[in-house]
Amino acid sequence: MGLVHAEEMTLNIGPQHPSTHGVLRLKVKTDGEIISEITPVIGYLHRCFEKHCENLSYEQVIPFTDRCDYIAAMNNSFGYVLAVEKLMDIQVPERVEYIRVIMAEYNRIASHLLALGTFGLDVGAYTPFLYMFRDRERILDLFEITCGARLLYNYMWVGGVSHDLPLGFMEASYRFLDEFEKNINEYHNILSYNKIFIERSADVGIMPKDVAIDYGVTGPNLRGSGVKWDLRKDEPYSIYNRFKFDVPVGTGIMGSVGDCWDRYWVRAEEMQESIKIIRQALDKIPREGNVHEALPKKVRPPKGSIYFRTESPRGDLGYYIISDGTPTPLRVKMRSPAFTALSALSEIATGWMLSDVLVILGSLDIVLGEIDR
Amino acid sequence: MKNYFQNIWQSITTLLIGLGITIKHMFKARKGNVTLQYPEEKWPRPERNIGFDPKNYNIIRSKLHVDIDDCIGCRKCERACPVGCIKIDALKVPKETDLGLTSSGTTKRLLISRFDIDMTECMFCNLCTYPCPEDCIFMTGGPNSEKQPLDYEYSQYDRSRLIFKFANVTKNDIRRITTAPPVQQEIL
Repeated sequence: MGLVHAEEMTLNIGPQHPSTHGVLRLKVKTDGEIISEITPVIGYLHRCFEKHCENLSYEQVIPFTDRCDYIAAMNNSFGYVLAVEKLMDIQVPERVEYIRVIMAEYNRIASHLLALGTFGLDVGAYTPFLYMFRDRERILDLFEITCGARLLYNYMWVGGVSHDLPLGFMEASYRFLDEFEKNINEYHNILSYNKIFIERSADVGIMPKDVAIDYGVTGPNLRGSGVKWDLRKDEPYSIYNRFKFDVPVGTGIMGSVGDCWDRYWVRAEEMQESIKIIRQALDKIPREGNVHEALPKKVRPPKGSIYFRTESPRGDLGYYIISDGTPTPLRVKMRSPAFTALSALSEIATGWMLSDVLVILGSLDIVLGEIDR
Repeated sequence: MKNYFQNIWQSITTLLIGLGITIKHMFKARKGNVTLQYPEEKWPRPERNIGFDPKNYNIIRSKLHVDIDDCIGCRKCERACPVGCIKIDALKVPKETDLGLTSSGTTKRLLISRFDIDMTECMFCNLCTYPCPEDCIFMTGGPNSEKQPLDYEYSQYDRSRLIFKFANVTKNDIRRITTAPPVQQEIL
């Protein structure tokens, strides 16, 4: 009976595929329908971020950091700006700190809404995606009246923000938060507790705690595996130590700890926490203040280097900046959380069915702009 | 066996809950909340109707516009642009020549022979508008509607037509103004 033997088949997913969330190619080796090996091929969206930074002044880099993770541009420039400020030893005014936190948390909600919506889309739920985009749209509208742009803001500046909050921002914010809190329950009813969705995502693509730590996975993916690690709580930057919020972790309610549903759930819970932070910030924000007060005349940090990390919606986002005392950085290195999340894919997706790959990939919430830079 | 029926029961109930929500949304939909057939119909005012008065906008991102009569040729916008899509040529003119004043009363000393903005390269970061001492480069619409109405429909059939040339002097003008004394020099 030497005639019948299973041969491995190599399958190509992408680079142009709606479920790869960008231009990502996956080389999948399948044994029947079971995956024996999976290799992500990246680099299709490489835009020379680091080389660009060597030729641009510190302010001109900010629009480029926005374009790395285009889903959460505020958080990306937030990290970069904080790093440069620490290098230059600038104290920003109180009002600026609050505005930055509000914007960063709003963008976190917007990013998670997109992550949850497209994850639903990957498993076949179309309606929640539309509802989530409707709410994301309202956050983008708030950004639009503040800084004119809806996706790539160039809002955070070294030493301040580009514009103060516009007229009617506070009222619109409170109104949005009130309505959005009700909508989250609606999402849970329509998607999170849906039996088909649970069957599809629970107990699928389990990422154990040690695997997540070994691969350096951070953010909601790590918390989904049950590790309570959030830089906003454990290493507070900016003014995050003034707010009361919890760090949700995956507990395996529907299946086992670290499955796709847990990662989904952590993101959904994080939106609640972000709402809490925004509410506290809106209540406490100083009503008066000049947001351009601490803007330096020329951004020229002294010689030295710095590594600064912040918690972006995708995880631990770090910037390593070397300054040689000129207005241009010698080097800017970005530590991308989505890259580490993708590197763990081959480990956690091996052994699952072919149709589970896209579910696992969707639950990791990667942004290819940030992976390839 | 019990588990089997429980699964079916759960599937049906959770599906019905979801269906209920969608039906509720179908009837609750805001009036007029439908897709706009864009080229044929537009919002009554140029900005998208998002519930905010465009006058309350802090800033807007759209097509760049230059009031060339106010430009003094300082090239600050050119230097601020991260992608280098603004290209300016400013010529020195003899001292006797009077190029006039800008609207804020500054004397113009340089003749702008070229002010090109390549909107295919522009990444709408708005960095060029902040350093301008005469506020003559800005994005159209929004808070700047009084100076220049919003223009977002500037698509062209050819790429080269997206390079907007703002300088309004002809070659004859340049020759006439700069050749009065023999020295003609271009500053870099």
